[in-house]
Amino acid sequence: MERVMILNGSPRAPKSNSKRYAEIFTENCRIQTEYFNITKTNHESLCAKMKDVSNVLFVFPLYADGLPVTLLSFLKFLEENPPETRPVISILVNCGFIEYQQNHTALKMMQLFCSKNGYTFGSALEIGSGEAILSTPFKWLVKRKIKKLATSIIEKKYRIYGVTMPISKNMFIRASTQYWINYAKKNGVTKEEMASMKIE
Amino acid sequence: MNLILSDNPLNGLKRKENVHFIDLSALKIANCIGCFGCWTKTPGRCVIRDDAVKVYPLIAKSDHIIYVSRVKYGGYDTIMKTMLERSIPIQQAFIRLHHNETHHVQRDVAPKKATIIAYGDIDKGEKEIFRQLIARNAYNMNFQSYSVVFTEQDALVKTVENEVKKWNV
Ligand SMILES: Cc1cc2nc3c(=O)[nH]c(=O)nc-3n(C[C@H](O)[C@H](O)[C@H](O)COP(=O)(O)O)c2cc1C
Repeated sequence: MERVMILNGSPRAPKSNSKRYAEIFTENCRIQTEYFNITKTNHESLCAKMKDVSNVLFVFPLYADGLPVTLLSFLKFLEENPPETRPVISILVNCGFIEYQQNHTALKMMQLFCSKNGYTFGSALEIGSGEAILSTPFKWLVKRKIKKLATSIIEKKYRIYGVTMPISKNMFIRASTQYWINYAKKNGVTKEEMASMKIE
Repeated sequence: MNLILSDNPLNGLKRKENVHFIDLSALKIANCIGCFGCWTKTPGRCVIRDDAVKVYPLIAKSDHIIYVSRVKYGGYDTIMKTMLERSIPIQQAFIRLHHNETHHVQRDVAPKKATIIAYGDIDKGEKEIFRQLIARNAYNMNFQSYSVVFTEQDALVKTVENEVKKWNV
């Protein structure tokens, strides 16, 4: 059936940015979507559901320049337990740094998974400054790109998109410094403590 | 410090007194849960108190390091990847410009001469992706210089011994 199954590969899926990106996708997708967090225990049921959908969209964060272990483990399970009919696989990957291009290796890894396992790779959206962009006035830029992503998947005109905050790197660094200081303040941790050089 | 970080026991490896060897497959290391506690609650310390907290301080200290990992989809397989994700306490939340890209400020992390020994059934395209990954890692993991060596599992021990020799330690 023409449906998009959205799978969240963030280890903090219930409270993740990926979840918020998935919600925006659903709001802007003309066909039905179904959303699931990937957990340690639901690989089998997710793989079983996959045979009934035309499209899968993996939403996930960049972790150490690659796929988060939550997603990697699921892909390894899927490789062993493929659905009878293969959906088209698309991705929405976000990273903390401003350059959305830093997601590119993760995109290549997903394309490799697809070519090794007989899936058509569809579209991709790479988001930079993904930790914070939804709480800034630039949220609409993300919405616009997610809408394009959804349309390209439905119309089978597959493309690679990218989006980030349209500000200078230095301005991004200042804004992110403030973002993290505020984050830690809620835990009663100061800027000086955060800048500790000590490990353990 | 000289460190070999491996995703398997490397049975038969010649041990040297001044080279620390860690077999990650023998340790209990949970997934990073992405809580950012190591940056914003207990800076420099992971909130999950399992074996990973003994490993990332050694990664930070090492100036010579060999990573031994199976390759999966052009990246590290699960064991090594899990450890690398759990290593973010050695960086700060704060971001700086590095090679004209945004990257985190490192805590007390020695600049590294790194060798990545990658094994498994890896074709040309997959090698290329893995090389791109290591080029990106180099910026985030404080590599001063690095080399990537592809090999078969059977030849691992010999390959590691060869690379250690090059350290002249
Ligand atoms: C263990 C770990 C590793 C990360 N590695 C990177 C990275 O290599 N590059 C990057 O730009 N952001 C990195 N990030 C930041 C996340 O990609 C970013 O915070 C993202 O918004 C998280 O998305 P989520 O809330 O959907 O999990 C990392 C975060 C964690 C916790």
